[in-house]
Amino acid sequence: MTISNDPSLIVHAYVDGELDAVQSLEIERQIAGDPTLAAERARVEALRSAIRERLPREAAPPNLVRRIEAAITSQSTRGGSHVSSRPSWRALAASVVLTAFLASGSTWLLLNPGPTETVADIVVANHLRALMATKPIDIASSDSHTVKPWFNGRIPEAPRVVDLGQKGFPLVGGRIDVIGRVPVATLVYQRRQHLISLSAVPSGALSSMAPVPRAIAGYNILSWTDGDIIYWAVSDVAAGDLGTFVKDFRSAT
Amino acid sequence: MGRVSTNEDGTRFQALVLPYLADAYALAGWLAGNRTDAEDIVQEACLRAFQGFGAFANGSPRAWLLTIVRNTAYSWLGKNRSSDLLLVDDLVSVEQKQAARRGCGGSVTPETELIAKADAIRLEAAIAELPLSFRETLVLRDLQGLDYREIAEVTRVPVGTVMSRLARARQRLVAAVATNGR
Repeated sequence: MTISNDPSLIVHAYVDGELDAVQSLEIERQIAGDPTLAAERARVEALRSAIRERLPREAAPPNLVRRIEAAITSQSTRGGSHVSSRPSWRALAASVVLTAFLASGSTWLLLNPGPTETVADIVVANHLRALMATKPIDIASSDSHTVKPWFNGRIPEAPRVVDLGQKGFPLVGGRIDVIGRVPVATLVYQRRQHLISLSAVPSGALSSMAPVPRAIAGYNILSWTDGDIIYWAVSDVAAGDLGTFVKDFRSAT
Repeated sequence: MGRVSTNEDGTRFQALVLPYLADAYALAGWLAGNRTDAEDIVQEACLRAFQGFGAFANGSPRAWLLTIVRNTAYSWLGKNRSSDLLLVDDLVSVEQKQAARRGCGGSVTPETELIAKADAIRLEAAIAELPLSFRETLVLRDLQGLDYREIAEVTRVPVGTVMSRLARARQRLVAAVATNGR
């Protein structure tokens, strides 16, 4: 990344986790030696935490979702002769799924349902459902010693839970997902404000010969096998970040 | 890639847009300054997204949707409130003076305490008073958690500009909330 020469700007990039290791060390050294920069850092951190605590994320109002659905539907019916059948089909498909989403009152998403549905489709659908739920996790804790025991008794074998906070991927919690008919443990980690879902699927539980796509609907996917477990990582973080996460998870003890 | 069925298009659109409706609504609200207009902007942006989602290939779906929301909001502001779209270059010198003045201040503790105590109403008012380009940068970073590269993509400026706008936006907020009382 192109970096300004103004250290008071670089402090912001540092607090935002935008610097590489060399740049971070350099600005830390400067902060240590310059009270003005130290003060800037303290202000930025105080401001960020005040914003985070006082201005929480709000859900979109339900009537807005209905309005969008209506607008898309009316656009597809108004389309008429100058619009090809393809967009109106799209409109119909989208409005059907939107209606289903609204009518069901739940946030369960059916991504590409049918016999062709692969494990990759399901893990992405599970991740999306979690993003849209009021809570993306069933057990909220950054402590691996709290999360791991929570799975005991809920699924046959508790997953491996590692602490990656030092690597920039703090643990947020865990949940039970269902893939096929098998309940599986899913750990949720965070990268800045993006969530990463990591499902641990016993390799005997599901047979999937389908090739793993690199991404579905813009969500990056990585899968690997470790002993008897097939891991699936899904997130909207950049593919490179997800790769780093997987590398850190695998090498953690 | 083989044939893409219309059903896949529909589910893909749904998967792209729905998870980020709250972000879209929040960004529109901060840009327009009120909820009613924000709803109109998000509705129009979703229609645009819907018409254009065939063109969306890779990258972050959230940044993609927020880009459309931002562009829609700007068209809307241009039509309804063109005075909000003023340039901010002449504000920079004022801020540099403010920053220089703050730099001479003694202990940082009282200031950070005041920031930490700032209530929601005060923070919201201070953000709402930021010039548009500062406001959108701050909202995308500190409320929505986009990284600099994504913000650069959404707001169509170089990463260096994102960095300086963000720093200035925060310095202005600090100046607004860290002064004593009202």
